[in-house]
Amino acid sequence: MAEPLLPSGFDELEQFVEYWVRDTNNERWKQRSKASMEEIQRFYDHMLARAEDAIAHLDAFPLDDMPPASERLFKLLLAIAHVAMAVEMHGQPIAHRAQLRSDLQMTQGPWPFGGSSKEQSKRDLEETQ
Amino acid sequence: MMNDMVIGANLGQGGAKDSFTTALGLGTGPVPVDSYISPEFFELERTRVFGRAWLYVGRTDQLPDADSFFVKKIEVCKASVLVMRNAAGKVQAFHNVCSHRGNLVVTEQSGNSKLHRCAYHGWAYGSDGSLAGVPDQKNFFQLNKKECGLTPIATDVWEGWIFINLQREPEISLKEFLGPYAESYAGVPYGEGHETLVIEARFKANWKLIMDAFSESYHVPAIHPATLAPGFSHPVHNKYARPLSGNTFGLHSAWSAYGNPEYAPPPNSEVERLACKVDTGGLLGSDVNDEVLRLRAHPAINPTKETCWSADVTAIFPNFNIDYSTGGYWTHEFWPISRNETHWILTIRIPKANSVRRRLQLEHYAARWCEIVLEDVTNCESIQKGLESGAKDVMYLQDGEFMIRHQQEILRKWVNAQTVAEAMK
Repeated sequence: MAEPLLPSGFDELEQFVEYWVRDTNNERWKQRSKASMEEIQRFYDHMLARAEDAIAHLDAFPLDDMPPASERLFKLLLAIAHVAMAVEMHGQPIAHRAQLRSDLQMTQGPWPFGGSSKEQSKRDLEETQ
Repeated sequence: MMNDMVIGANLGQGGAKDSFTTALGLGTGPVPVDSYISPEFFELERTRVFGRAWLYVGRTDQLPDADSFFVKKIEVCKASVLVMRNAAGKVQAFHNVCSHRGNLVVTEQSGNSKLHRCAYHGWAYGSDGSLAGVPDQKNFFQLNKKECGLTPIATDVWEGWIFINLQREPEISLKEFLGPYAESYAGVPYGEGHETLVIEARFKANWKLIMDAFSESYHVPAIHPATLAPGFSHPVHNKYARPLSGNTFGLHSAWSAYGNPEYAPPPNSEVERLACKVDTGGLLGSDVNDEVLRLRAHPAINPTKETCWSADVTAIFPNFNIDYSTGGYWTHEFWPISRNETHWILTIRIPKANSVRRRLQLEHYAARWCEIVLEDVTNCESIQKGLESGAKDVMYLQDGEFMIRHQQEILRKWVNAQTVAEAMK
């Protein structure tokens, strides 16, 4: 049997793993900015409904040492902060009058899974190679 | 926002009662806008401001141990600056340029190394900048290694902030340069062991336009209606987000931002409520704790000691802000690249996450900051276009924008002065 994507009990969130589970704050922000409002709203509704359960599950582990399925759930939970900007503040995927731009980056995000400039430049390098 | 304060007691105080502008002896007329668009003005800024002023390059905690180093590019002065802590613990900056044939020596952004080797022919330098090794030295002619160390740059540290001066012989010391600012803000507590968040943007606008955006809160209700306005203005008591206080300190200046004491996440902001359940969780990630109480007790912070205070913005001439808030502190570096290009580095220091919910709150806080940065950058590029059109020769500044007026006055003095002594008059 294949390794489950998310901890048991969170199966209905598996549909969001591929798009919303990202390693850094910056990538989660970009994913949200590129998504349609329908996609954002759908993830927001499903994730918000299970957010307290997810926090309760994740609280059992050290922040930077979780089993892979739980770590994915953690990253999924973090993405809700970004969709909240669209749903709760702007009412659209990105700030008013603004466009997604590659010259604006969160080069160091909060620990853990926020991303650092060193990791970021390594990834940029890999992408260009 | 602050649980133990009398909420709303001082709401009526939100906003300026007297004119900061006139109290500080600043003019009140329209201000020319040539400083944002003129190539000649920019060239003078490059040589007479950035070439002569003390410039912030980093904080001492970026050099935790002996032999720690980081490299700071100062594009406006075409300088690559290598800042190192030597074996004796002294922090000193050098031009990151090899004495042999002028190649850049260190290519990593930061790290720890006793020896830095130039990639071209292997000349090696110690963490004190001295030339430690030359391959095949015998084949040179009377090479005096003592004279061939890295070229030092004048360096000084104030309260853990590292400054450099690119003049070969600085005309002014850091102490004189900071003047009354350093006296007022000495001893302000900075949080220990904090998380460091960094947001960087490169965009097409003059560097002062983004600095101006942090010099006033008049624009907050318009440009940041959802991200900032609910926390930093009040529909009845401070509709236009007027500052609580304003001061100048020689070349430098500061203002205190109003915070809406009645702010709470709106009922439909369910994620914000979820993320902020652990503490009071205002817009600035605020919490009432010992650190915030110590900060608020310092006489320079929120100098009029208003309860509806949220943050102090302090601007160190020419391009560095240190801002203190109820939820940590942050700095802005506004680096010109050219007349109409800027590299903005926002560094936020905030307590680390100790739980899943607190980590979610930090993500929410960081996400909000990214939105604010995007809103400001978008707007700055729009202003640059407007100014470049040449339609307007001047701008009209209101009282809450006194800091822009002060910065323009100081900048013009430095641009016009033949010597630093003349600029300091």
